[in-house]
Amino acid sequence: MTAAPGPVGRGEAIAFEGEGTALSFDAIACPPPPLRGIEPGAAVALHLADPVKLAWALAHLGGRAGRLVLVAADTAPALLAPLLAEAGADLLLTDRDGLPALPARALRWDGLAEPTGPALPPVGIETEWVLATSGTTGAPKLVQHGWASLTRTVRRGGAPQRWGQVYNLCRFAGLQVFVQSLLSRSTLVLPRLDRPLAEQVATLARGGVTALSATPTLWRKILMLPESASLPLRQVTLGGEIADGFILGALAERFPRARVVHIYASTEAGAAFSVKDGLPGFPAAYLDPGSPAGALLEVREGRLFVHNGGVRPGYLGGARFADERGFVDTGDMVERRGDRFHFLGRANGMINVGGNKLYPEEVENVLLAHPAIRFARVAAQRSPIMGQLVTAEVVPAAANAPDPAGGRELVKALRHHCQDRLEPWKVPALIRVVAALGPNAGGKLERRPAGRAA
Amino acid sequence: MNSQAAIVTTDPSIRNTILALYEEVVQGKDGASGAPLTDDTVLLESGLDSLGFAILVARLDEELGYDPFSLSDDPYYPQTFGEFVTFYESNRPS
Repeated sequence: MTAAPGPVGRGEAIAFEGEGTALSFDAIACPPPPLRGIEPGAAVALHLADPVKLAWALAHLGGRAGRLVLVAADTAPALLAPLLAEAGADLLLTDRDGLPALPARALRWDGLAEPTGPALPPVGIETEWVLATSGTTGAPKLVQHGWASLTRTVRRGGAPQRWGQVYNLCRFAGLQVFVQSLLSRSTLVLPRLDRPLAEQVATLARGGVTALSATPTLWRKILMLPESASLPLRQVTLGGEIADGFILGALAERFPRARVVHIYASTEAGAAFSVKDGLPGFPAAYLDPGSPAGALLEVREGRLFVHNGGVRPGYLGGARFADERGFVDTGDMVERRGDRFHFLGRANGMINVGGNKLYPEEVENVLLAHPAIRFARVAAQRSPIMGQLVTAEVVPAAANAPDPAGGRELVKALRHHCQDRLEPWKVPALIRVVAALGPNAGGKLERRPAGRAA
Repeated sequence: MNSQAAIVTTDPSIRNTILALYEEVVQGKDGASGAPLTDDTVLLESGLDSLGFAILVARLDEELGYDPFSLSDDPYYPQTFGEFVTFYESNRPS
């Protein structure tokens, strides 16, 4: 399949299951207003809190809209107007209240998600899919995908599954689960993501999901919940963060009947490759031309570059992120050991604490603002629960006045100092008081992650 | 300790260290004191979120000198406080 999703399939089989809602493939061919009234070729932004409505809108408008702009329900209202203007959306389909004045006509979907009227025939337009990066620093950027880049790692054929959806459907990973489920004529079980995780997992268990994709951080939390014992999983997928050997092993142990696969993807590079042998990193053979990786891979000076044909090589209305040959710098450092590449961390020193990103400089500046501190160095430490944690080494300003408790009082004071000024995941989990910071070989302060990411 | 027991016995020192650091991390998080901890308490419902547990594991590594998550041959995530303590006891380096 190379074009848009087009005919989503026929039959009584259930396509989407939400709380108190089940829609068959037949039913979703009969969309209610206002979905029904959207003209083919329109540029539509989707801003829907109800995951079933969002899934239905994606299924109906993929292959029908000229452009689909996915705006996550948790996007700050102030960001909406610039985002819609940048994305060139004419219409905003929403079930949300209290929106500010926007540069697109608002189309409300307040009614139930119930099939209405005769089935609409597919149109077969090559839809442009526009996603916002999660943008932890600054405003989100827009990236455009085609059907090919969204479906690169989608597994064709095979028996239908019951997929659980714990990603936001507006994010790249959520969209991947969506297309995988749709193309394999599986059922997609959609818990409300604003509920506690234990409740979401219970919904997935009741829904009998056989396939589930989540970040390593989310998988760790799921494994720590007793509700996970009743998930009848045959397919376990990890994405969004680097998967380490411990979480891969723990998943294989807990779900012995499941295939454990980790996917390497980013909003910019799209779905690059998947690793199916249950081990961290990826086989070096993925760099060979014609390898099973799908996208072309290169390693330049220890950094992974990806060429994915289906992705537009720059942000919408903004900077190009691919080089002249179409390769995207992923910013991930890799190291070859034997016949395998392993991930070492981010080239720019960015630390990822359970999906929350930060730069060490921000934390260092906060530490240095404390009068008792002369030097500070912040780094990542590997964590079996969050992937990475923030650690700090500090040199006190008063050279010969360490308190007798080995700096315990100073550490306590610094922790409070940071808690008052930083978000919780940025506060150093460990603070070590040292006499001096050792420079690295280059003479610069060492800023590579202290622990290996995988 | 009862040396005749074939199963892993409870080492009060490890349990006490875990309890003390657990309290310290809970206190550090806006002083929100959790419900009384029993062996059946589900970790993520005990008043600490996953970031709190990550911090606890990192501080225990400093205090006890080992991290069972990196030592264990049997990759596993404990769900209850009792399982957490046992995980530390049974993976203590000899």
